[in-house]
Amino acid sequence: MTATPIETAPVETEGETDLEDVTITDRPWLVIVWNDPVNLMSYVVYVFQKLFGYSREKATRLMMQVHHEGKAVVSDGNREKAEADVARLHGHGLWATMEHPS
Amino acid sequence: MSPVFTRNGAGGLDLTLTSEERDLLRTLPVELRALYQAGPDDADPVQSRLFPRAYLDPTAEDAEREWRELVHPELVRDRLASLDRLLDSLEATPGSRGTVALSLDDEAIGALLSVLNDARLALGTRLGVTEDTDYDELDPNDPRAPEIAAYAWLTYVEGELIETLLADLPD
Repeated sequence: MTATPIETAPVETEGETDLEDVTITDRPWLVIVWNDPVNLMSYVVYVFQKLFGYSREKATRLMMQVHHEGKAVVSDGNREKAEADVARLHGHGLWATMEHPS
Repeated sequence: MSPVFTRNGAGGLDLTLTSEERDLLRTLPVELRALYQAGPDDADPVQSRLFPRAYLDPTAEDAEREWRELVHPELVRDRLASLDRLLDSLEATPGSRGTVALSLDDEAIGALLSVLNDARLALGTRLGVTEDTDYDELDPNDPRAPEIAAYAWLTYVEGELIETLLADLPD
């Protein structure tokens, strides 16, 4: 795993990675936000817009999915991007995890 | 009195608090500082809410440990900076006649939001808040009544702040 400063925008590095890493990045890692009883719905929309640049509509749709279904995939990408996104979400108090679907 | 955020000419936000409300905000960084410096701890509900795992997969302990070593110090540092920034904003403002007029720039707004949200996460987790908690049916004899009232006030203030900030983001 390469250390990626969490402020830095994710950069595609597939051209520089070895074969093993390319294989790993074939299927994206999924960043999941889980429902919790404390965070305000409006706050969750605000964080999705601010961190990911999503439209109000997309941010609201994802928030409602979290609220009604208990979780939603809010971003995906290679492992480094997913780790950075999870860190940024945690930095804003959202309950986020990452997983690699098999 | 309920605080209301208004845009000021400098692009920041103004709000007026009672001195009691300001004093409540002043207590939050003291409690949060202790929590930030004690974590992470997956066995403690408040700690695991403030600093959750990144990898749910229990077989990913190595990845989790590496991720934590990388990001935890930064998450703590940023949050401690927000505490200091908010305290500066609260201290810098002279009080008069029981009210305190605050003028917040972007950095102070971010610090206030961070402190409000983390204080609610910590308090709400400790109180066992659910989505159905009804603050209007609060039993005044409940020993937790002061904390529940504080939680409800913080929720109100954060909601007002978010509505103001959302108005500035694109549709």
